[in-house]
Amino acid sequence: MPVNIDMEKCGKIKDCPGEGLCIKLCEQGALVEENGELVLYPGKCDDCDLCIQNCPNQAISKE
Amino acid sequence: MSTVVREGNDKRSLDYISNKCVGCGICTDICPTEALKLGPVLPIARGLVDMDYVKVNKNKCVLCGLCASTCPFEALVCKIDDKNIKDLSTYPEWKHNAEIDDDVCIYCKVCETTCPRDAITIKRELPDRSKLVTGEIEINKDACIYCGICKEMCPSQAVSITRKTPINRDINVDEEKCVYCLVCKRACPEDAIKAVCGACSYGEYEINPEDAEIKGISILKNDLCVNCGWCQELCPVDAAKVIKPFEGEVLQDTAECKGESCHACMDVCPCNAVNIVDNKSAIEQKFCILCGACSKVCPQNCITIKRHKMNLINIRSKSWQKQMNKLVSNGF
Repeated sequence: MPVNIDMEKCGKIKDCPGEGLCIKLCEQGALVEENGELVLYPGKCDDCDLCIQNCPNQAISKE
Repeated sequence: MSTVVREGNDKRSLDYISNKCVGCGICTDICPTEALKLGPVLPIARGLVDMDYVKVNKNKCVLCGLCASTCPFEALVCKIDDKNIKDLSTYPEWKHNAEIDDDVCIYCKVCETTCPRDAITIKRELPDRSKLVTGEIEINKDACIYCGICKEMCPSQAVSITRKTPINRDINVDEEKCVYCLVCKRACPEDAIKAVCGACSYGEYEINPEDAEIKGISILKNDLCVNCGWCQELCPVDAAKVIKPFEGEVLQDTAECKGESCHACMDVCPCNAVNIVDNKSAIEQKFCILCGACSKVCPQNCITIKRHKMNLINIRSKSWQKQMNKLVSNGF
């Protein structure tokens, strides 16, 4: 089951304290930056949950 | 490096030495005032964010020294009146250690190449090559056409040719380098080289054992060593002895492990003890020091550290023992 992103908590990548840390951590390419915003490609998500654990905004979850 | 200093009846300080810290979180587990906070260990280990593993909250730290006494890596140093508490008789003492016995060491460098912390340096002095071979070699300079084939083929770079003018030329063999392999003799198109290998002519040639002796010294930097045990395991002559900080086991339930997709455990392990095998994490117990860094970063909680014993002695304070018991499953 792929992750969910709370776009309100996430905000723009330029404002992220981790400078888009989830994108850097995701080696599946399921999280990418498009037009300054985080975009999820659910088909590529491998459920490793590294993004959930490391998001400084706690914007990523499962449910 | 960050420092907390306070002066009262005595002057106390706590130094956090970031380059020794492995991000295991032992200090944050036992700090009684929650003054230590573990940062994003995996992103730091991967070099994605530039931060220290541990943050010391100066306002919360009471400079008790518990973290400094418990850190197996000496990444936290507590001083009372400028004396390191680990040198004070009233404070606990770690018994973990690593050493290489130079009387036994054959200076093969297996430990140096394997050490995950680059804590070992082997300096060695090799025997003179010329003393380990025997033979004769001579170049007939009248027959030599100075084609340079022997020079190009010589595996030990023993042949040198000088050309001052087109007719003023010279060729020489450095007998310190020549091993009498006879490649030059066989390759020479003019049969200008006479050479014989003593060992080939007389069978097994006896050399003076002293001439073959390899001398050296081993240098083990204890401040970099984490006592993982790689050197002890791979040393062919049992010259390396390691006492780990904890005794116990690491348990893995890899049902949920994402293997190659995640490999967080592998990236944070200070001991190179983790591999991904068949797309699952596999921790080699022999090299694990039970620091717990992997178990904290695993998003699936696949790893459990079970410490049975801590090789720390002289814990005089009951309250410290109680706090340290959090690290050891069945207490002291």
